[in-house]
Amino acid sequence: MIEALYDVSPAWPVIIAGLIAAAVPNHYVRKGLALVAPVLAGFLWFNVPSGVHTGGIIELGGFTLETFRYDGLSRIWGLIFIIAAFINALYGLHSKDRVGDASGLIYAGAGLGAVFAGDLLSLFFFWELTAISSVFLIWGSKTNEAYKAGLRYLAIHVLSGVMLLAGAVIHSADTGSWAFDESLSVNTLGGFLIFLAFGIKCAFPFLHNWLQDAYPKATVTGAVVLSAFTTKLAVYALARGYAGTDMLIWIGAIMTAFPVFFAVVENDLRKVLSYSLNNQLGFMVVGIGVGTELAINGAAAHAFVHIIYKALLFMSMGAVLYRVGTVKASELGGLFKTMPATAIFCIIGAASISAFPLFSGFVAKAMTLAAVAHEGHYIVWFILLFASAGVLEHSGIKIPYFAFFAHDKGHRVREAPVNMLMAMGIAALMCVYLGWPDMFGIPGGYRALYNLTPFPEVANEYPMWTFDHVVGQMQLLLAALFAFAFLVRMKWYPDEKRSINLDFDWVYRRAFDGTARWGHAMFGRLWASIGNVLAAARTRMGGRLFQAFSPMGAISRDIPSGMLAIWTSALLAIVLIIAYIAP
Amino acid sequence: MSDQSGKHDELVHPAARPFLWLDAKWLKSSMLWILLVLALGFAAIDLFHHRHEYVHVAETPGFYALWGFGSFVLAVMVGWFVIRGFLGREEDYWDGEGDQ
Repeated sequence: MIEALYDVSPAWPVIIAGLIAAAVPNHYVRKGLALVAPVLAGFLWFNVPSGVHTGGIIELGGFTLETFRYDGLSRIWGLIFIIAAFINALYGLHSKDRVGDASGLIYAGAGLGAVFAGDLLSLFFFWELTAISSVFLIWGSKTNEAYKAGLRYLAIHVLSGVMLLAGAVIHSADTGSWAFDESLSVNTLGGFLIFLAFGIKCAFPFLHNWLQDAYPKATVTGAVVLSAFTTKLAVYALARGYAGTDMLIWIGAIMTAFPVFFAVVENDLRKVLSYSLNNQLGFMVVGIGVGTELAINGAAAHAFVHIIYKALLFMSMGAVLYRVGTVKASELGGLFKTMPATAIFCIIGAASISAFPLFSGFVAKAMTLAAVAHEGHYIVWFILLFASAGVLEHSGIKIPYFAFFAHDKGHRVREAPVNMLMAMGIAALMCVYLGWPDMFGIPGGYRALYNLTPFPEVANEYPMWTFDHVVGQMQLLLAALFAFAFLVRMKWYPDEKRSINLDFDWVYRRAFDGTARWGHAMFGRLWASIGNVLAAARTRMGGRLFQAFSPMGAISRDIPSGMLAIWTSALLAIVLIIAYIAP
Repeated sequence: MSDQSGKHDELVHPAARPFLWLDAKWLKSSMLWILLVLALGFAAIDLFHHRHEYVHVAETPGFYALWGFGSFVLAVMVGWFVIRGFLGREEDYWDGEGDQ
């Protein structure tokens, strides 16, 4: 332990590495930085003494910024962000993209900074930094649609930051405190604005479409990086500020359910994963809404394992995109013949997200479901159970089945590059390890996960590996798998076809945009009409002046000289009279 | 065009060759029955073992199996008929943005 480093947030080495990477043209140096920075961050994470620790205080302009708050909640989020940063760096080793390398590091560092922020101003700084740095991962695709999606992404996230700042200022004025803690409440204006800011980043219903819009258009590596930080940072922020807020239970329940329907008929498999991500966030949001220690543990554990298996799924689809050039389900199939390792890793990710026993999703999701039922939210519990079957549909079956099996489309590509396989391999190992039960007196891997949760005693008391749990989950999943086989056999399963489905983004991409264009056109026409009226008035006035003053005008008409002499004499007489009378 | 079965396809990865049976027709046609047997087998455990649940209705024998089957079918049907039916559009809908 190095005491001098107790106050250094793990965010700094990653951000600094990103800034250096932006200036370094050498590919190998940048990749070295990308791999070393998370290791340094990990060292700082391990270096902190156990328990609650506050440090990294910066006095600035009369404000006290707290850049390193280490406690049960930030500990688990910090560690998974560091792990994700390392896996992402490994996955992107083949990519010679200076901007992508730099933005990926700064983005990961900003995410870490936000997680360890102890006050709302520090949070705002890192919050905005995540938005600004991550947009380059979308623009890195260098396509017109990626550019437009990036702009929309940036606008929405900057709006989230502005709302966070406005809420923080109001909250501070009300309470006299900038602390980022459980004192936030949706019942105050400031607290509600901050809640909305978190909701945008967490992809609440109707605020969610930036996710499905931007992530599928990001670069191969960019989508993997994006999947790890932004939304999970928002989940952390909600857990920090709004645990036990009832509203979150229903918001989360809706989030688990509606993406399922969209994912079923989505052709772009990275977009399917984006909907799937939205669905998984719902489970975490429900847990935070319930707010008991078990539920918060469930949300934290879910976020931890989710980052790994979701990254694994995005990595596998990224490898497919890298090799085949598309991730459209309608154009894929049979890839297990040429990308067998990628297929296996994808299946492990799919099994994890579907919560098959022996995989990580099972041990995390169970806590949330138990907490929901224990607190008597039965309708929500049924919705979560429905969503669990839905997860199996879109991520458990659709992703691996249509990419690697289904109808062989004859793509004979090479297996993914070694660095991608290594990154996927590490993630797959973690998916299995974290779901592993106690066996022969040896503590299972899930104990490591439970020990990381904010309330480890509560987590370890939870009876995870019971016969009832395993049997119930297997019944649900096997029956859903049978339903898939049954629907396919009966030809009642929708074909994968080249199409898109409208979502709420239609409102701002078409309705608002159309209204704005219509308004612009109407204003143009109104302006033109006003111009025409003014021009006509000008013409009329000009004509009249011309008639009066032009050489042909009335004033220039020939007047008899005798008449002119009379008028001149009259005027002279008036002037003389005035001069005589005047004192 | 490559060989669909992959048996004589030199481009098939060596590690994948032992698993080419996954693409076999007999497996695809029998998968329905394999899964049916597994699903019924796990559901049948409830006839011999009483599960303890927070939600009492979940203690009904075969509850999770029925809920899993029904949820899956509901998700697919709503996705197919409601989402694709009402909200599905051509791929170039966004003015040639190429939104995939």
